Amino acid sequence: MRNYELRITNYELIYTAVNNFIEISDVVKQYDGHLALDHVSMNVPQGCIYGLLGPNGAGKTSLIRIINRITHQDSGTVMLDGRAITDDDVAHIGYLPEERGLYKKMKVGDQIVYLARLKGMDKTSATGEMLQWLERFDLGEWRDKKLEALSKGMQQKVQFIATVIHRPRLLIFDEPFSGFDPVNADQLKAEILRLKQEGSTVLFSTHNMESVEAICERITLINHSRVVLEGSVDDIRQQHKQGILAVDLARGETLQPCDTLYTLLPAAMGSRETLVRLNPGVSMHDAIAWLNDHCALAGFHEILPSMHDIFVNTVKDQNHGQA
Amino acid sequence: MDKLKLIIAREYMSMVGRKSFIIMTILIPILMIACILLPIGIGYLNTEGSETEDVAVIDQTGRYGGAIQDTDLYHFIALRGDTIADPRAFYDKSDGRLTAVVIIPQDIDSVHQLTIYSDKTINSSLKMTLGRQLSDTLTRAHVASYGVPNLQKMIDESSVDVDVKSVKWGEDGTETETSTEIAMGIGFFLAFLIYMFVLMYGAMIMNGVIEEKTNRIVEVIVSSCKPFQLMMGKIIGVALVGLTQLAIWTVVMLALSVVAGSMLGLALGDTLGMAGDPAAVQAALAQGGNADMSGIVQAILGVNYLQIFTSFVFYFIGGYLLYAALFAAFGSAVDQANDASQFTTPIIIVMIIALYAGMACIDNPNGPMAFWCSMIPFTSPIVMMVRLPYDVPLWQLALSIVLLFGTATLTVWIASRIYRTGILLYGKKTGFKDLLRWLRH
Repeated sequence: MRNYELRITNYELIYTAVNNFIEISDVVKQYDGHLALDHVSMNVPQGCIYGLLGPNGAGKTSLIRIINRITHQDSGTVMLDGRAITDDDVAHIGYLPEERGLYKKMKVGDQIVYLARLKGMDKTSATGEMLQWLERFDLGEWRDKKLEALSKGMQQKVQFIATVIHRPRLLIFDEPFSGFDPVNADQLKAEILRLKQEGSTVLFSTHNMESVEAICERITLINHSRVVLEGSVDDIRQQHKQGILAVDLARGETLQPCDTLYTLLPAAMGSRETLVRLNPGVSMHDAIAWLNDHCALAGFHEILPSMHDIFVNTVKDQNHGQA
Repeated sequence: MDKLKLIIAREYMSMVGRKSFIIMTILIPILMIACILLPIGIGYLNTEGSETEDVAVIDQTGRYGGAIQDTDLYHFIALRGDTIADPRAFYDKSDGRLTAVVIIPQDIDSVHQLTIYSDKTINSSLKMTLGRQLSDTLTRAHVASYGVPNLQKMIDESSVDVDVKSVKWGEDGTETETSTEIAMGIGFFLAFLIYMFVLMYGAMIMNGVIEEKTNRIVEVIVSSCKPFQLMMGKIIGVALVGLTQLAIWTVVMLALSVVAGSMLGLALGDTLGMAGDPAAVQAALAQGGNADMSGIVQAILGVNYLQIFTSFVFYFIGGYLLYAALFAAFGSAVDQANDASQFTTPIIIVMIIALYAGMACIDNPNGPMAFWCSMIPFTSPIVMMVRLPYDVPLWQLALSIVLLFGTATLTVWIASRIYRTGILLYGKKTGFKDLLRWLRH
């Protein structure tokens, strides 16, 4: 199946065919009377970095385990690259679970090669790749050490290598940045972007909304086993904007209230900007025009809601609706 | 299939490479030898270390006191009964130098009883020493009292020890000398081997499963292979580790017995080589002129080794598979080894029952208990091994093996269903009820 998406670039209309790498339709999964996934559908385009969001217990891990062929859905379909997923497809998937672990008593190099071979690589190429990856992460000298001799951060890197070594076309990361210090998290982020450039599709499961804004192109938000929000990060932020404007006035001026157009919001600490919320029905254009007439406007910009706020509000609204 | 091989290889290498494997391989035979030597050693220390104790024997008959011989433990001081009026006062006066006072009463010839007095608890070795010595002396006195010349000598010479030889009639008319003691020994040794192996390596499998679960590596592995492959890989890998250990011991034992054998002028290898032809062995032995040896060797050769060892392989594999699958399933259900005891205790109880049933079967290898315990798959690997040297009907052997492998296959299937759910569940305390629920998933 192909979705046609309309994009406007440089005032030219172009139609781009978007290949969905994963297509999940109507998946239902039940455990012991508890509905873990309630008719969930999700499309992840080829080469996309896709965020799978949701509070704890929403059903993210259940969905990820189904894609990984660890468990199976009760009903619904999972398609990979245009055909129904099979057990052999695990060779094309790299999975970094949230709860990580490796064999403590096994040597770093042996461990990576073992996991790579389980994914179907042959011994020679697995060994070659392992050496390259260890060098890239400055872990070359640790190859013959047992895993337990490594620091936690180094162990996380080893786990990352084990996830990507077989050049999977689909990468699934569950909370990849937890347990990484900022320097290592940046290195990890760079590696993920590099893998995307090399053609991998990346599925992210996370609560870390900053990382979602920073790298995800599209997201699906799951709450209480259902999809509650889906789309590109930009579109979602546009849709959820609440008409908040940051106004920067010339030195010495203060913004006058105007009940017909907007209400003043408490200003952020240490900021020269004043925040206003436009009244319902007031267009941005009208408000700017009025402000321009009445004060010495130095600058202005619209504030888009953060993914964090959208996440929290959507989940809260939904929980309210249910209660 | 390739994945299964990879998993087996990893399990095998990770265990054989460990220090604990090398240590256990050396330690277990030493422990076993120690188990045999220890009682002997303790008995030796018991007599060797202690000092001789003095025991006063007040002989009111005046005939038997002097006949009591000193032993390593006791020095007997014979006293005439009429010299000591109050034995109690005599004992107290000794200030603890005397351990006990023995009174041989006037009428011992008719009542056959004597008494030991002491303010300490009298130990059984003193009672046994006195009992044995006086029984002997009194018997001789009785014999002598008949006044028949040389009667004691006649009795001694007419005492006969009957040696019971057992010969098995083969269908082709051959006669084979059998030895129940040797058969019993071999059967019980092999049964015990299965018992040890199942418990030791079963526990190893369980710990391996728990380790993978608590390490959280299991989710990474099962995203690459089926949980069933991981479970079977572990079971087979651990079995190979055990077989390696057995092979090492066998080679060492053979080497030692060849050395010992060549010292005795009888290499075990030669004997085994001639096993198919008892006559040749007989001839070879007759040449050596060692009749006793020839009897033992004939008895050893009388046991149907081919049947015993073929059956051993089947029971070993079947019994191991059955219990290993259970251990794997139970390991998957808990978060740490401490929580596993509620599941492992029943297994260990069943194993111990099997071992005791096996011991009991030695007395009645074809009785109803022996029959049923050698059919029930949870006890058959041990009990049947004990029964085997006593010529179990072939249909029983076949039925027992079929039942064992049928149950083992079913257990592996059940275990794999529990395992695939258990390994991904954390933080919940699980009981047998939960396992049944997972089974139905």
